[in-house]
Amino acid sequence: MSGRADEREAVPPETAAGAEPAPAPGRAPLAVAPGPLRVDDAELAACVSCGLCLPHCPTWRVTGAELLSPRGRIAAMRAVQWGGAELDGTFVRAMDTCVQCRGCEPACPSGVPFGRLMEGTREALAFGAGRGRGAYQPWWRRLGYEVLGRHRLLLAGSTALAVAQRLRLVPERVDRSLPRLSLRRPRLRRSNVTGEPVWLFTGCVMDAWQRDVHVATIAVLEAAGARVRLPGDPGCCGALHAHAGLRAGAERLARRVIAALPGDDPVLVSSAGCGAALKDYGHLLGTPEAERFARRVLDVHEWLAARADRLPPPVRPLAGPVAVQDPCHLRHVQRAHPSVRAVLAPYATLVELDDEGLCCGAGGTYSALQPDLAAGIRARKLEAIGRTGAAVVASANPGCALHLAAAGVDARHPMTLVAEAAGLPG
Amino acid sequence: MAQRYREPVTPPGPSTAAADPLVADLRRALAPDRVRTEDLELALYGRDASGIDAGGRAAVVCLPETTEEVAACVRAARAHGRPFVARGAGTGLAGGAVPVGEPVVIVTTRMTRILEVDPDERVAWVQPGVLNLDLTRHLATWDLHFAPDPSSQQACTIGGNVANNSGGPHCLRDGVTSAHVVALEVVLPDGSVTVLGALDPEPGGYDLRGAFVGSEGCLGIATRVAVRLTPNPPAVRTLLADFASVEDAAATVSAVIAAGIVPAALEMMDARITAAVEDYVGAGYPRDAAAVLLVELDGLPAGVEAHAAEVVRLATAHGARAVRVAADDAERALLWKGRKSAFGAVARILPDYYLHDTVVPRTRLVEVLRRVYQIAERHDLVVVNVFHAGDGNLHPLLLFDRRVPGVMDRVHAAGEEIVAASLEAGGVLSGEHGIGLEKKAYMDRLFGPDDLDAQARLREAFDPDGAANPDKVLPAGARCGDLQRAPEGAWI
Amino acid sequence: MTGTLDGFAAEVGPAEPVTVVGGRTQWSVGGAPAEDVREVRAPAGIVAHEPAELTVRVRAGTTVAELDAALAEHGQMVPLDPPDPERATVGGVLAVGRSGIRRLGRGPVRDCLLEARYVSAEGRVVKAGGPTVKNVSGFDLCRLLVGSLGTLGLLAEVVVRVSPRPAASRWLQAAGADPFALRRRLLGASSILWDGATTWVLLEGHPADVDAESAVVTSVAGGAAAVAEVAGPPPLPAGGRLSARPSALRDLRTGDHAGFVAEVGVGVVHTTAPVPPPPLAGPRELHRRIKAVFDPTGRLNPGRSVVTA
Ligand SMILES: Cc1cc2nc3c(=O)[nH]c(=O)nc-3n(C[C@H](O)[C@H](O)[C@H](O)COP(=O)(O)OP(=O)(O)OC[C@H]3O[C@@H](n4cnc5c(N)ncnc54)[C@H](O)[C@@H]3O)c2cc1C
Ligand code: SF4
Ligand code: SF4
Repeated sequence: MSGRADEREAVPPETAAGAEPAPAPGRAPLAVAPGPLRVDDAELAACVSCGLCLPHCPTWRVTGAELLSPRGRIAAMRAVQWGGAELDGTFVRAMDTCVQCRGCEPACPSGVPFGRLMEGTREALAFGAGRGRGAYQPWWRRLGYEVLGRHRLLLAGSTALAVAQRLRLVPERVDRSLPRLSLRRPRLRRSNVTGEPVWLFTGCVMDAWQRDVHVATIAVLEAAGARVRLPGDPGCCGALHAHAGLRAGAERLARRVIAALPGDDPVLVSSAGCGAALKDYGHLLGTPEAERFARRVLDVHEWLAARADRLPPPVRPLAGPVAVQDPCHLRHVQRAHPSVRAVLAPYATLVELDDEGLCCGAGGTYSALQPDLAAGIRARKLEAIGRTGAAVVASANPGCALHLAAAGVDARHPMTLVAEAAGLPG
Repeated sequence: MAQRYREPVTPPGPSTAAADPLVADLRRALAPDRVRTEDLELALYGRDASGIDAGGRAAVVCLPETTEEVAACVRAARAHGRPFVARGAGTGLAGGAVPVGEPVVIVTTRMTRILEVDPDERVAWVQPGVLNLDLTRHLATWDLHFAPDPSSQQACTIGGNVANNSGGPHCLRDGVTSAHVVALEVVLPDGSVTVLGALDPEPGGYDLRGAFVGSEGCLGIATRVAVRLTPNPPAVRTLLADFASVEDAAATVSAVIAAGIVPAALEMMDARITAAVEDYVGAGYPRDAAAVLLVELDGLPAGVEAHAAEVVRLATAHGARAVRVAADDAERALLWKGRKSAFGAVARILPDYYLHDTVVPRTRLVEVLRRVYQIAERHDLVVVNVFHAGDGNLHPLLLFDRRVPGVMDRVHAAGEEIVAASLEAGGVLSGEHGIGLEKKAYMDRLFGPDDLDAQARLREAFDPDGAANPDKVLPAGARCGDLQRAPEGAWI
Repeated sequence: MTGTLDGFAAEVGPAEPVTVVGGRTQWSVGGAPAEDVREVRAPAGIVAHEPAELTVRVRAGTTVAELDAALAEHGQMVPLDPPDPERATVGGVLAVGRSGIRRLGRGPVRDCLLEARYVSAEGRVVKAGGPTVKNVSGFDLCRLLVGSLGTLGLLAEVVVRVSPRPAASRWLQAAGADPFALRRRLLGASSILWDGATTWVLLEGHPADVDAESAVVTSVAGGAAAVAEVAGPPPLPAGGRLSARPSALRDLRTGDHAGFVAEVGVGVVHTTAPVPPPPLAGPRELHRRIKAVFDPTGRLNPGRSVVTA
């Protein structure tokens, strides 16, 4: 347990928790083809097989395999959906190896919504579309996702994991993908200064493993004139569930998050993956309420970049150059990566990676589920980082930071860097 | 360091492709996980960006990493009496990498090493799977680049560029791939490895390098390529001229060239695509223009300035409503973004397109364009034109939705008429995409039997058994008579 | 214009050895043709020149000087740059395939041939390539024909790519200027020649750019005193012709090969002493097969061969 209670706002009771919701009114019905996948036919048809997405796909970069490319995955989906091909192990592997980084989306001239196609495919797989072989998400994986939804459990588990890690109890396969976890978790404090009111979404994994980022974020936001409100226990954003095809779980969590962050104030997120998920609630739930909520969501850097003149002065600018690593869900999904540079620029000499935002391989649970492929993808990222000569890497997503740190990179959240350079408590 | 990722390997089973003894040989030559036999995977290598389905399929797919492995694949294929097909990124638009029958498909996407850069001699050795844009990015350190810049440059491989003799907007002045390849290491169809061309300027013998470039994988597989590197120009000017008629735009193109100016790039877009691009990316293109010209001049500063002024003058004299000169790199990038987003913009009009790639004499652009519009109208199809006007390389895009019954017939009929119109105007079948499967049947419209026979002889000299990428480029029966054997040493 | 393509084909005929004669300016490259072989001449004359196309269609027997004069009227030129343009023919220069000393700026001869109509060993007119500046329709036989010494087919008519003549062009002679430094620093040099001591540079382009690049030459040469504008390149030694990697030229010393002039950045070295021909690039057997498929009986230009080593 975390010991001391954080100063959080009360949570309105969760609505219809756990129950499978009736399809929301106004939500466009999927034009699902006769095939087994829950994907939109027209969206699946939009790919013209040009291949322009290939170089932006980390798994294609590492393997050179068409099957592990966006174009190949779409062709495989088509073979199953339209051609009656079997949902065999090869198909599952093609889908399972996708990091869901969505690097293929901005690269696609035809605007193929690959993320949606993949989520729909996984949704079908998760619930046993793989004929006779039962649910594709094994019980232990579902249990893992269940934990993410329960914040206190995760906090406890993380401490346990941290201890276990020290005691070398964690199997090597999992340990490789995790950095040393911090045992000390600073206490979060709601700000009481006056200023522009904003919510800070605290999330699950990030709150558990990188609480210092929240502390720094709050300090920076306050310095820039925000009055930061913290939700009670908003729980998990549901991104990992959606990626895994566990749609009902994702919807349930989304409703809980929305309930925990009422009003009209902007909802700021310092984890790119969560931010992308929150911004997608309108699409996920399809209700006007969810759409309204999604429009309130901003990555914390977006909010700060619009107020660059109010950023605290750099009292001790960072000595060496800082390489900016763009988390996929900030760059490819939210397309908000320029704001990180705008916010960091006063405090450090920034250098760019030359890999056009290719994924680092973290991908939520990916680095644990596909460790070899994730490590192969990361190796490319490490090379790109090496080419910049920077000793410090700024990454606005905890998953990426953890994944890079596990390979010995000094990866830090931009908010931590700003707080440090501005001499704020962090 | 990261443990290397390995793809799972299907064990040989009675009914699978893995049972083929050829597969066992290949697995001995390559790491077993780089010899693929699963049905789904084989099916994926049955197509490229052309969408052409030749009814064939890969017997087995190999992903070699070295020259020796490519040679081993070719030898194994030959030993088992199989043809083989080289494949890069599969962005080809003529079906060059599409298997016919059941060949061994040899994919170069794991041959991605830039082996050596010699900035002093301005030459680099690269493996064929290196992506065109990756190479140019890598060269930025030395202020150099690889000049051929196909619109697919982010994704296509140098090997594919070599095989298709690819071009791009900037090939108007700098020339196509052939002018930028000085030597090649190739695996010949008999599995032997040799180097064609050389790093010195006048190697002895026939220009086999030149014959290999553009041969669409029919003469062997390139395994290392020595590319010529071009210095980045110190000055660049990009202009966008807006015209009220296609005729005025085309007349400007001719006037610019006749004035002794060869721009680095000279691209034209017609009304429909200009508006579509503007709606899509908002690059500030005039939505109501009948045609726009995008002109890029680069080189030494004074010449660039003088030529830019002259282009502005000529465009205005030929009725341009406005000429916008990009003020800085950001505006330049924005103007190019418009041109390069053309394909994406098109996808937002209708989901499918069919792209033709004929070249016509520059002086007959207007006439052929007019015919292209008429042809499309007659077949009730939407056509947009975005093309390399500087070298007369047309890219009419026929837009359609393949789910509409019967539309493919109309698309093909219109395409055939467009090709015919281009040839009638003294043009050629393809400017940069190649012949592959797509235009094979049109070859006899451009070439007579003797001409085709000559091309078939070249192929025969390299590949007497026709094992390398069979059924591509040349129509069946291209080779006329049988060979008389030359007496050994008769001419040496 | 003299002669027609069909007339030329008829003259070549389907059998018996023939040798094609141009200006006899590079008669011994690849070995002198066998004696007592019937000589034929390609037709001559410019067929079509459309300045806005940047191409010219010309019969192979036309002299380079005649073609150049016609193009000059429109401010254009071809990258055919033989030592004796009054005698050298377009077909001959292409068949020999040697580029001139301006290769650095204008590119090699092999890149300029767009379409060729040649008479085959069977005595038929065959077309290779196409008339447009860009073309990938089929195998690139044009590249194979350039430098083939007429052993695969006899060029009758060609379409070559032309380019605008530069607005200004200036030869500078710079004693002691490091030619390799100039190669690195100049972007508008069409030729850099070096004899081990003196460097000659041809600058071409817009007058102001030529001035700016002249200043670069002066600074590399260490002062204006070391640089002089001259009328043209130095005389080239004609004893031999070496093909070397451009970087290998650094190892040349004054007096090597009894005197030399090297094309810096290109790698061709003109030597006073004879030098051995370049080694064969590519397998001998493949060369043999190519010759065999195009000229099964060996009747085209017997005695000459691209396989010299
Ligand atoms: C959106 C789009 C835009 C395009 N724009 C252009 C353009 O502007 N200009 C242009 O020229 N092309 C363009 N193309 C066509 C295509 O990208 C080029 O032809 C490219 O060079 C193909 O490269 P690839 O690696 O994808 O080759 P593939 O498609 O994989 O193969 C093409 C051919 O090359 C052969 N091949 C591949 N590798 C080798 C090798 N190592 N040795 C021997 N043969 C080999 C194959 O057998 C096949 O015949 C475009 C394509 C798309 C989809
Ligand atoms: S989401 Fe990422 S890993 Fe998946 S196909 Fe797209 S680019 Fe590849
Ligand atoms: S870029 Fe888009 S259209 Fe092209 S292959 Fe990829 S997903 Fe398909």
